[in-house]
Amino acid sequence: MSACVGVLKRRLGARSPAGIASPLQPLRCPGGGRWESSTRTGETLRPLEGVRVLDLTRVLAGPFASMILGDLGAQVIKVERPGAGDDTRAWGPPFVASESAYFLSVNRNKKSIAVDLKHPRGAQIVQQLAGVCDVLLENYVPGKLRQMGLGYEQLSGLNPRLVYCSITGYGQTGPHAQSPGYDSIASAVSGMMHVTGPEGGDPVRPGVAMTDLATGLYAHGAVMAALLQRQKTGRGVHIDCNLLSSQVSCLSHIAANYLNAGKEARRWGTAHESIVPYQGFKTKDGHIVVAAGNEKQFVRVCQVMELTELTEEPKYKSNKLRVENRKQLLHTLSQRFLQETTADWLKKFKGSGVPVGPINSIQEVFSEPQVRRFVSAASLQAARHPLL
Amino acid sequence: MILGDLGAQVIKVERPGAGDDTRAWGPPFVASESAYFLSVNRNKKSIAVDLKHPRGAQIVQQLAGVCDVLLENYVPGKLRQMGLGYEQLSGLNPRLVYCSITGYGQTGPHAQSPGYDSIASAVSGMMHVTGPEGGDPVRPGVAMTDLATGLYAHGAVMAALLQRQKTGRGVHIDCNLLSSQVSCLSHIAANYLNAGKEARRWGTAHESIVPYQTCYHGNSWLEECFSHSLSAVCGNLQVMELTELTEEPKYKSNKLRVENRKRYPLHLSVRFLQETTADWLKKFKGSGVPVGPINSIQEVFSEPQVKHNRLVQEMNHPTAGRIAVVGPAVRFSSFSPSGPTPPPLIGQHTVEVLRDVLSYSNEVIETLLESKAVVQNEVL
Repeated sequence: MSACVGVLKRRLGARSPAGIASPLQPLRCPGGGRWESSTRTGETLRPLEGVRVLDLTRVLAGPFASMILGDLGAQVIKVERPGAGDDTRAWGPPFVASESAYFLSVNRNKKSIAVDLKHPRGAQIVQQLAGVCDVLLENYVPGKLRQMGLGYEQLSGLNPRLVYCSITGYGQTGPHAQSPGYDSIASAVSGMMHVTGPEGGDPVRPGVAMTDLATGLYAHGAVMAALLQRQKTGRGVHIDCNLLSSQVSCLSHIAANYLNAGKEARRWGTAHESIVPYQGFKTKDGHIVVAAGNEKQFVRVCQVMELTELTEEPKYKSNKLRVENRKQLLHTLSQRFLQETTADWLKKFKGSGVPVGPINSIQEVFSEPQVRRFVSAASLQAARHPLL
Repeated sequence: MILGDLGAQVIKVERPGAGDDTRAWGPPFVASESAYFLSVNRNKKSIAVDLKHPRGAQIVQQLAGVCDVLLENYVPGKLRQMGLGYEQLSGLNPRLVYCSITGYGQTGPHAQSPGYDSIASAVSGMMHVTGPEGGDPVRPGVAMTDLATGLYAHGAVMAALLQRQKTGRGVHIDCNLLSSQVSCLSHIAANYLNAGKEARRWGTAHESIVPYQTCYHGNSWLEECFSHSLSAVCGNLQVMELTELTEEPKYKSNKLRVENRKRYPLHLSVRFLQETTADWLKKFKGSGVPVGPINSIQEVFSEPQVKHNRLVQEMNHPTAGRIAVVGPAVRFSSFSPSGPTPPPLIGQHTVEVLRDVLSYSNEVIETLLESKAVVQNEVL
């Protein structure tokens, strides 16, 4: 018992007797981390300094949102179940020492506490934390947290200023509300997969979980909107973010085409339904994407590719005509693109005014000069990890 | 649009004549309005201003003086040439939150390249990881790079408004397609940066979980995914009446199924072909196994949960009549997203904004209209 008290004393240090520092006192993080006093000013002040987030989310959408809030200066307390913790800690290979790269990618700027929510004292701790936090993020199936005394009505009774953001697969109510949310399934149900894939080929998933990520992005904005609203009303709010709604709203014009003109969508590979040429082409050693959206750019494309006879061709004179005669035109361009490497094509197109770009592998992404700044920032973050 | 959904007053500045490029992006059109434009422009007023006309630029300067937020997506430097750059406008209005959205960023080797979702998707690695296994890369079928950037921007604007309350000052925000999409590479990027692991295309499958993919049957698709747990997989095999596979040693764990990934899904695919999607969904109901159909767009809007979430927002448009678009994705307990104003006609609110926001007199407004620095829509 005295050993535990010793640990507690070391951990709590100069904090208030209640064991939890109030937002008005400077917070000191033993690892030299970034929890700074909200009295700092000037260029180093971050928008969400002084905001405390209680993060009960796991996997991707929620942790991505809380990570961005942490990047903006919020203090994020990540609640994990003892033992395994967040599922993604085990999602590898690759692992870096004992940590999965997956977990590392979306969990910076957070403190982890391991709490057994099913233990009555555990649930009580989370209740008390909710009492001193500004924001709670969770991604449990609707009703589960309420069973533990941690639902919105219960916690906002204790802390009426609490912004409670729920992230689920389908929403808080409705026929599918009890289905757990998976990016893959939501991507399918929401129409995203139907419109992604080779022309005439099978549907595929976007290669990163864009549905999860879009939901996390919606959530991070919603939380801040609620904080802004709280300043007028003095009250928190319950926010309902879900994968299905996020992805359906990201259908934007695809949805509007159907809702207003009954027009079903289809898969176009890398191409654009209404602009030609506007797609990827195979080169000698990879792929290049060309986006020639108007007549001037089409003429430039033909000049760069030494196919100027195409500019004289009546059936390619306007975008509308090029769309109608796309198969033949694209075949001609494809054959020509195969003759040179991606790097040579990029050189040739430089300064032409035609938007082009390589289809980069991940290694190539991080060799891009424009991306370079990111790499140093990421390396710095990795260097601070206690186990690395 | 999202800021408008949350209650902000949005003044959309468009060039006279064509206005926002997407007004012309069709078919399909609804009356004269492209569905594309309608999908992302509700809850905004439109003023038609010629920024190249000195009086036009002046109007925008004055509007910036009485606005909280300015959003722009010009190639870096272009607005500065017109006297509308961040330094210039924040000099006039130090509280202005100035959010720039570009293809690649405000500075750097590609900063002068205009931003296209398609190109950014390619350069950022998104296309490299999307496509059939062993096949060519494809784009996500909606412009997720553009949309992710817009989502980052809407949050950043609100973060800046929160910060302004402490500092009293605005800020310049740099959002760009490249950065947004690269940061959305998340674990794909971390795999490379920490373990040198290159990514590849997996179709609908998952690199480290089997089964977690699509099975085709008849004329529609079923997407299926499982946790690592054996009980979930057994649950699936029971539903599919393939329980002999649960005895098979080489499929006993997720790790083993990943190693034997070429064969395992074949057992399922063959079995899936024998029933319709609707029947499979019925069979899997209550099994605890996550499954879902790959819905066409029509099927999306027939989904009971989509209807329950009230995702379709209808409104009356002055020339297009009754239109429908997808409404806000996020619900707040404190308000309901009712009563959106329809996407505006170009220059529909020019006079109204000059009069109500800048308090211009009728005479001044007349002069401006005659000089063609601004245009008022004739229909309304």
